[in-house]
Amino acid sequence: MQSEDLHLSDQEMLLTADGELSTRQAAQVHAHLAECWACRARMAEIEGTIVDFARAHRQTLDSQLPPIGGPRALLRAQLAELVSKREAASRRWFLPFTSGMRAAALMGAAVLVAAVVGRILVYHSTLRGANSIVAAFERGALPDRSLTPGATRRVAISDVCSMAHEQVVGEVSVSLRQEVFREYGILSAHQDDYEVDYLIAPGLGGAEDIHNLWPEPYTSRAWNAHIKDTLEERLHQLVCDGELDLPTAQRDIATDWIVAYKKYFHTDRPLALRSRLESVNPLGFEM
Amino acid sequence: MSPKDSIDGLPFPTVGDAAFSKTPSEIERQVMEFFEQFRDPLLRYALSFGIPVHDAEEVIQEVFLSLFRHLQLRRSRKNLRGWIFRVAHNLALKQLYANQRSHAKTTSNRTIAEEQFDPSPDPEEQLSSAQRRHRLLAVVHALPEADQGCLRLRAEGLRYREIAAALGMSLGAVSISLTRSLARLIRADGR
Repeated sequence: MQSEDLHLSDQEMLLTADGELSTRQAAQVHAHLAECWACRARMAEIEGTIVDFARAHRQTLDSQLPPIGGPRALLRAQLAELVSKREAASRRWFLPFTSGMRAAALMGAAVLVAAVVGRILVYHSTLRGANSIVAAFERGALPDRSLTPGATRRVAISDVCSMAHEQVVGEVSVSLRQEVFREYGILSAHQDDYEVDYLIAPGLGGAEDIHNLWPEPYTSRAWNAHIKDTLEERLHQLVCDGELDLPTAQRDIATDWIVAYKKYFHTDRPLALRSRLESVNPLGFEM
Repeated sequence: MSPKDSIDGLPFPTVGDAAFSKTPSEIERQVMEFFEQFRDPLLRYALSFGIPVHDAEEVIQEVFLSLFRHLQLRRSRKNLRGWIFRVAHNLALKQLYANQRSHAKTTSNRTIAEEQFDPSPDPEEQLSSAQRRHRLLAVVHALPEADQGCLRLRAEGLRYREIAAALGMSLGAVSISLTRSLARLIRADGR
């Protein structure tokens, strides 16, 4: 591009026209253009075509745009609703505290102190118990990585995001279920106690492959298949909203779906369990 | 305000800024500012996928509700314009496939022959202008989807880094795609 004999490429000229070159590079291009008639002519063609296409694009679609007033009002109303829901949720969190205090005031200072101390002790013992239960549940809630490392299929984001809701978590064929049970050595008598689940869900590009399936027990567990389904739906939504890239979602759920759940729901316990614990926490202490 | 600094010039704090103590109503105000600035470009972009206007409007509403949640969660404000167009791109594609699946797709895109002519007083100029537009748009419709996306986002004034973020491409791929498309347009235009 330094010499008049070596003409500028279309790419260099387009980058120049679009202001995408560094100052130094742009200066070099302009120096060449000042001396090369052929490149100036080509540059004019490129710039003219950009302008013409942009105009054609807008003229074609502008005639279809409805006035902005209605959509503006709708968005404002929806945002207001979101904000009021958030505020209402905050108020609900503090309500037990205010009502508890009102009742405690009637009981007198001594009773209040005793009640508060009692509740703190009960709460902390409940929380410790729950945490130890959760910790116990975590063991065995994950697949055997040597058998189920996870497997994906080649899929575009558009394919993933166009899946129906029920396809996101996915069903497993009967024959494959049997194969998974055999691999994990689970006898037929106990098969009803398990759901054969995808490690990487179809809605995240997971393959219907034995390396992506494992038997997940149903039996009253904190970290169970239903909780994992909510994580799959959450990750699918994040991916389709453009807030998370698909490989990261696949890697996180395959590595340790419980860790992924805690990360993406910003909680250390399954949300259903968390709400149960909150219900025994009328003083609203932060957990 | 030029397209280049239209986003970065907005009064959004960066991560760690004390202004993160904003109330939701402040975020609402910011989202509405974005809406005023980008509703038309986003709607044009969504319509270019061939979805009906009412679906495109819903997509745009969802884009700004996502933006609200994004800001409320104090997520990164870097390259927000690229982020917004990326969300619009994903949602418009999702809507397009949903429409195709349900066979409910309406003929939202008027054919080029149905497009309105320029408000030019000279009928010959009108015809010539419309024919040229027809030719350019026909070439664009024949391009691969990624190339069409790059070109349309460029027509909406996005920078290459914003196009790259919106379409999940590298900067180099955006540059190559636009160069290839422009060369085709020039050839078709007989320049």
